[in-house]
Amino acid sequence: MNGDGEALLGEWTCPVEWGKVREFARAVHDPRLGREPPVPPLTFPVVLSAEFVERLVSELLPLDRKRTVHGEQDYEYLRPLQVGQVIKCTARILRDEVKQGQRAGRMRLVTVEVKLMDANSGETIGFERMTAIEQEAQTP
Amino acid sequence: MSVAGLPNPPVFRFGPITRQDLVRYAGASGDFNPLHYDDQFARSAGLPGVMAHGMFSAGLLGSFLVSWVEDRRVRRFRLRFKAPVWPGDTLHATGSVVRTRRLEEGEVAELELKLARHDGSEVVTAIAEVQCP
Repeated sequence: MNGDGEALLGEWTCPVEWGKVREFARAVHDPRLGREPPVPPLTFPVVLSAEFVERLVSELLPLDRKRTVHGEQDYEYLRPLQVGQVIKCTARILRDEVKQGQRAGRMRLVTVEVKLMDANSGETIGFERMTAIEQEAQTP
Repeated sequence: MSVAGLPNPPVFRFGPITRQDLVRYAGASGDFNPLHYDDQFARSAGLPGVMAHGMFSAGLLGSFLVSWVEDRRVRRFRLRFKAPVWPGDTLHATGSVVRTRRLEEGEVAELELKLARHDGSEVVTAIAEVQCP
């Protein structure tokens, strides 16, 4: 349980690797590509949470990829993420509810928050929040 | 006109998007959802073929933001996905300053950003908060 009294969905540690930052910067055409040390792009935390998100979608929630779209992604930075840091991540569900859609049928809205902390100093670096929308299965 | 010491947003155009862009993003991000590389799987989900990762487009919009605000500190970057992006699409990014506010740490500019296809239809919108010392 964390401070808010909600069960943690996952907790893991992941380094901000030099080569991985450069590879990601190249993939999203970050204008700072080529700097040394490389600067993590704003959306780089997806790399830190990729394995968790895979497990979240396929096992923990789970969601049907064929009926699920990515609705929102939100980054809040208290301090910058830097190459060489080791990041402790904790994940929790902010929302998991079923709503009536405007046009189509019912849909499930899930928002998960990953908190990023410097594993050495304990300082909070920021938050990554992602929202997925799963359309209800069509009855045959 | 420059607001909060920010330059005017740069011209940003990307595309046409190729499958190589999507495969490169999949490898770099670790997002191997087959909707983004497997046509057969994408069609079984009712799509015409593979679509780009939302976070690939988000990454492009982040790159536009960084080319605009350079090394100023980005405190917030919130994205909404409006429509799918397909291989062959060419995207344009635009942005504007909505307002500025003064905090203890200095001035913060609130920006609105948009990534759209050549016909003007939005694919990703975002807001960003940038520290402007």
